[in-house]
Amino acid sequence: MQMFFAALAVTVALGIGQSTAKPPAQPPPTPVPPTQVPPAQVPPDKRAPTASPKKSVNPDDPNAAIIKDFVKRVDVYVALHKKMEATLPPLPKQTTPQIIDQHERALAKLIQAGRKGAKQGDIFTSQMQTLVRRLLLPIFTGKDGAHVRNEIMDAEYKGNVVLTPTGRYPDEIPVSTVPPQVLQFLPKLAEELEYRFVRQNLILFDPHAHVIPDWVPQAFK
Amino acid sequence: MLLVRLRTVTFLLCLSALTSCGTPASSFSTVDVRAAQPAAPAQGQIPLPNKSDTLKFAVIGDNGTGEKAQYDVGQQLAQWHTKFPFVLVVMMGDNIYGADRPQDFVKKFEAPYKAVLDSGVKFYASLGNHDSREQRFYKLFNMDGKLYYSFKAPKEDVRFFALESTYMDPDEVKWIDDELKKSNDKWKIVFFHHPLYSSGKTHGSQVKLRDVLEPLFVRYNVSLVLNGHDHTYERIKPMNGIQYFVEGSSGQLREGDLRRGSPLTAFGNDSDRTFMLMEIDGDTLTFNTITGSGSVIDSGVITRRK
Repeated sequence: MQMFFAALAVTVALGIGQSTAKPPAQPPPTPVPPTQVPPAQVPPDKRAPTASPKKSVNPDDPNAAIIKDFVKRVDVYVALHKKMEATLPPLPKQTTPQIIDQHERALAKLIQAGRKGAKQGDIFTSQMQTLVRRLLLPIFTGKDGAHVRNEIMDAEYKGNVVLTPTGRYPDEIPVSTVPPQVLQFLPKLAEELEYRFVRQNLILFDPHAHVIPDWVPQAFK
Repeated sequence: MLLVRLRTVTFLLCLSALTSCGTPASSFSTVDVRAAQPAAPAQGQIPLPNKSDTLKFAVIGDNGTGEKAQYDVGQQLAQWHTKFPFVLVVMMGDNIYGADRPQDFVKKFEAPYKAVLDSGVKFYASLGNHDSREQRFYKLFNMDGKLYYSFKAPKEDVRFFALESTYMDPDEVKWIDDELKKSNDKWKIVFFHHPLYSSGKTHGSQVKLRDVLEPLFVRYNVSLVLNGHDHTYERIKPMNGIQYFVEGSSGQLREGDLRRGSPLTAFGNDSDRTFMLMEIDGDTLTFNTITGSGSVIDSGVITRRK
């Protein structure tokens, strides 16, 4: 529920929760105002309080519904992750690489079994994929776009990458930077998941299990 | 290529004139840089005081390649440790490049620093963009399972704050705000991967991150900020009273990557692998920057902010 509020707050903060008389099947592009200051760039003591989603979000708004659905799907994944992780011995706060590796692989195996048949698009629905691409567009086409792209694409590995649902994150590929301006434009995730990039794909990355539950292909060009 | 093997006194003096006559803030007395000929102390080099009760520590960054150059730096660290017994090493991230299977922790960390580790020196890591977040559970990185954390140094009135700058969310910003606010330590030293100031052509200054973090550093009297990411060594001219360093060449190196004539640079090197040694004695910090072949290429004294 907390994540839902956070997601709705993002919707409100970004101005994407606009009311329409007849919600279209595909929400129209809503450019983020260029003067918008992402929350993390505002000192914490100057941030506006989080808006109450009940008061501020129009339930007919197509973007809010898409994000709500996404958050629900993320919650399902996180619940599975927690359930499976609870069956394993807890990872000590200070341990060996062997135990970290064993824990990652054991958890991955359990989650993969629990998500048997999972497909790309199960969490990032096609509507959410479209929304993500639209949210990221101003970041990558703005004046800092080239710099943001360089930071994300800073990977020494140049070979082919094949992503599979709930597959292990490729060992040979360094995890990408996620610039703060990207994070601020996406719904907040629980501790069990992160946004990362593999090439131009925005992935959901489960760092505990070292797997990729789902991704947005070609999230930016 | 900037500062390739600084060989002549004339060149060094020219360089010093070009890069060190900047605008040190009033609270700093950063000393002009003099470079050393290989295996010979340079004229004007500021020696580490090496007093008995001071805090001595080392700084490495972008080190975890598992290649010979990293091992060379590890060997130098071990040699310097015999005469300058630093008690801890702070790591700027990119600790384990590429795969981080158990054998990679050995090849890219435990083996190159074996002698230092065996001497009881503790390493404190921050995570870089090439690091798996699960490294936080690795006991030799002393992160205690946390992505960002702080710890009190065993000597002097010093607190280190390690941040995770690859994925800095608002919770982390709030955390560092709170931690710095409640810290009464005389020295507040923050280290993390992405540089707020850098003249690296490849990455350069992380301006968005700077917008978030620097106001906090200024407000809460942070004296020193240590970063990596760009595979160079760079001492930044003091900014808003804070001394910034980029130490991202303890394993990796991107030759020729520093922008010539950058207004940020007090001193830079993009031709050698480097690490730093630091010593805090009361209100002053003395640093030496040393190459993988053992030459001191930069040195100076910093006074803490009050």
